[in-house]
Amino acid sequence: MSNLFVRKATGLVRSWSVMDAFIYALFSINLITLGLYSFSQMYSFEGGMVNALIISAIFIFFEVVVYAALIAVMPRSGGDYVWQSRILGGAVGFILAVTGWWFILWLWVPLYGDMFRHIVLVPILGVLGAKDIALWFAGTQNGAFTASLLTLAIVSIFIMLGMKTYARIQKFSFYGGMLGLLIVIALLLMGSPEAFKAGLDANAASMFGTEAGLYDATAALGVEAGAITPFSGGGLAVVFLVIPYMVFFNLWPNWGATLYGEVRGATDFKRNMAGMGWALGVTTLLAIILLFAIRKTIGWEFYVQSGAAWWNYAWGYTDVIPALPVWPYPALMAAFLTTNKFVQFLVVALMSLWWFGWCATVFLSSTRVIFAAAFDRLLPESVAKVDERTGTPVNALLLMVVPSVIVAYLFNYNLLNFQTLTLCSTLVIAVTFLGTTISAIIMPYTKPDLYRSSPIAQYNVLGIPLISVAGVIFGSFLVFLLYQWIFDPNGLYGIGITNTSSVIYMLANYALAAVIYFGFKAYRKSKGIDLGKVQAEIPVE
Amino acid sequence: MTTIFFATDIHGSDICWSKFLNAGKFYNADQLILGGDMTGKAVVPFVHMGGSKYRITLLEQVFDVSTDEELTDMKKRVRSRGYYPYMTTPDEITELEKDPDRVSEIFLAEVLKVVEQWMDLADKKLAGTGMTVYCCPGNDDMDEVDAIVQASKSVVLAESRVTMLNSGHEMIASGWSNRTPWDTHREEDEDQLKVRYDAMIAQLKDPRNSIFNIHVPPYKSNLDEAAELDENLRPKMAGQALKPVGSTALRKAIEETQPLLGLHGHIHEGRGVSRIGETLCINPGSMYEQGTLLGTIVRLGKRKVEDYVLTTG
Repeated sequence: MSNLFVRKATGLVRSWSVMDAFIYALFSINLITLGLYSFSQMYSFEGGMVNALIISAIFIFFEVVVYAALIAVMPRSGGDYVWQSRILGGAVGFILAVTGWWFILWLWVPLYGDMFRHIVLVPILGVLGAKDIALWFAGTQNGAFTASLLTLAIVSIFIMLGMKTYARIQKFSFYGGMLGLLIVIALLLMGSPEAFKAGLDANAASMFGTEAGLYDATAALGVEAGAITPFSGGGLAVVFLVIPYMVFFNLWPNWGATLYGEVRGATDFKRNMAGMGWALGVTTLLAIILLFAIRKTIGWEFYVQSGAAWWNYAWGYTDVIPALPVWPYPALMAAFLTTNKFVQFLVVALMSLWWFGWCATVFLSSTRVIFAAAFDRLLPESVAKVDERTGTPVNALLLMVVPSVIVAYLFNYNLLNFQTLTLCSTLVIAVTFLGTTISAIIMPYTKPDLYRSSPIAQYNVLGIPLISVAGVIFGSFLVFLLYQWIFDPNGLYGIGITNTSSVIYMLANYALAAVIYFGFKAYRKSKGIDLGKVQAEIPVE
Repeated sequence: MTTIFFATDIHGSDICWSKFLNAGKFYNADQLILGGDMTGKAVVPFVHMGGSKYRITLLEQVFDVSTDEELTDMKKRVRSRGYYPYMTTPDEITELEKDPDRVSEIFLAEVLKVVEQWMDLADKKLAGTGMTVYCCPGNDDMDEVDAIVQASKSVVLAESRVTMLNSGHEMIASGWSNRTPWDTHREEDEDQLKVRYDAMIAQLKDPRNSIFNIHVPPYKSNLDEAAELDENLRPKMAGQALKPVGSTALRKAIEETQPLLGLHGHIHEGRGVSRIGETLCINPGSMYEQGTLLGTIVRLGKRKVEDYVLTTG
């Protein structure tokens, strides 16, 4: 029986493909870039890596519910900024949005750059026989800074090409990258520890000029660095302590959320849940399979030790240069299982697509927030200027690029202790997510009319709106993460209150946002425009 | 100095219409202008299940109501999203499924009924305020809407003519758009749009000091970015792939005429501001389903836009 009659009207589109939404969400929680990068840094935990993967994914599923529900209630609104502004007020919305979706992305640039050199530049140059330049990128501050600058250039080009082109690049990268990952997993599952050890010693020597006994030397350095993280196991308490590091990788399925849909209703809620939820589940499963394959052939202990050896040196805890002078990239190590140069190149080239299909995310959200703030007159109009010939948001891009160059310089040359700030990149965005989560929890009560006429009005748990229940669970998870990061009672994360650089950097972000908001608000008021009023609800009666 | 308030694409939302009528007082605006697409997109059947029971499916959720209070509340909910409640029976629903013409008739009747209610409300609310609403139905609005608007005392139909605003600015207006995949009521080819625009522009005494209130945004203005669709009207790349869908004829007209201000809508996600040469073009976007009235306040000075801001009411 018909339950709805629709007529021909603009914008009545059919549902988007869940598969497409899945691809973009899967790329946002990128196993190869964010995942392998952070796993290698997590060498000193007592809790099992697999346990932490599964438990964190369970909590992050509630994030998926919260965001899918908010999208269903307020679709096509632009996301966190609008949700928070509408429910928590303009000041909170602006400050949390610009810090979480703009300012903190400056810090992500050197991190994207670091992954660019380790996952793209060094492996490809190594396989192609360009040893000296590969080692320059891998082991020097100039190389790291150059990788950050190259990242900025590539991302800027992607922004200039536009979202439509980049969406196609992402889709191509998904299929190519997935093929590469399957080859890597196959190589690892078919290989043996003996073959790996021999392949590592031989290939690393020819590619990077390492000395005999590389495997043993690396393992010894790892042990010295304190490599202990187990593959699995550990009590719940120690497993939970792994999670604040793990979420650097998997807190982001909502970045692939799709904000389209009209008139259909609950279908869009379910489709968004499916797109993000499947991405979270499949990525978690792939991570477990990859780690299992690593354990089988590379050996879990050696994998953790090689990461410890690298980061112990990179973070300046030792002056002893690692025996393996490049980041221990599992895909490259899998390629060492064959002597066929073409296969080696194919593996590292296909795996590099995980970076190319993901890198533009560092600026895409930022440009949207900058534009939205300019339209709300909280920034000068000129920042939303778009070059008519190329369609490039020139000034918004400059507002990303220029501070990013400065932050990348401080990070890559470790000035003011900036290399300790890695997890600040996650903390500040988690604060933004907490703002959105609080908005979600209270929305059914503070905006009852909006909620009751939304597609999720009938989803309840024991009579309590599902969005509020999911919000409380995910919000509690975020509070736990923030407590661990900020107070760091076990000294595990290094960005808490004892790290002056971290405290000053993060407070400076929030202070800058507050100054912009209240400064522009006062300025506009002097010109006769009350920004408080333009965001207030007009009375209906 | 004159302050105008412009909103658009309210698509049948009672809440948005009430807010729009209150916006003049709320924002201290002198002039209210409503862009096109006033009418809703869906009729929601309230199926009589016997006795006092009705079954309603709203946004794919089934609601059973059995009291007058619940029924009134449900109608309000449906109207808040811009949809039209329609009291019916299971037998009639079965008939309607086979008779699309009859569905169209019901749609038209419901749409016109609400537009009449809106005009009555405007006449009541604006009586004695000196405020006039200029409105221009859009490509989604049936032709029959015009006659009802014309009969209103406080709402002026501005389609295809030059209107002199109180501020002394001339305004041309049209709700016609370029072709869409939905074959809507007021759409035509770009060369026909050009003829339409040229006819109005030719009547302007001071084109550079004028306002173009044109429903469709200019092509490649960033106010016209919409999800690219496949042949089945399914957004490509989960809606991530955007493409400009505005009017090339309008863009050319703005480039050549350089009016003071362009007021646009049509693309709900296209909220923003853009400059084409000296012309400030604004699309305030639309969140009508959530009962949120997106709009813009523009302060017009002598031959220039003094200031503007996008609003979320």
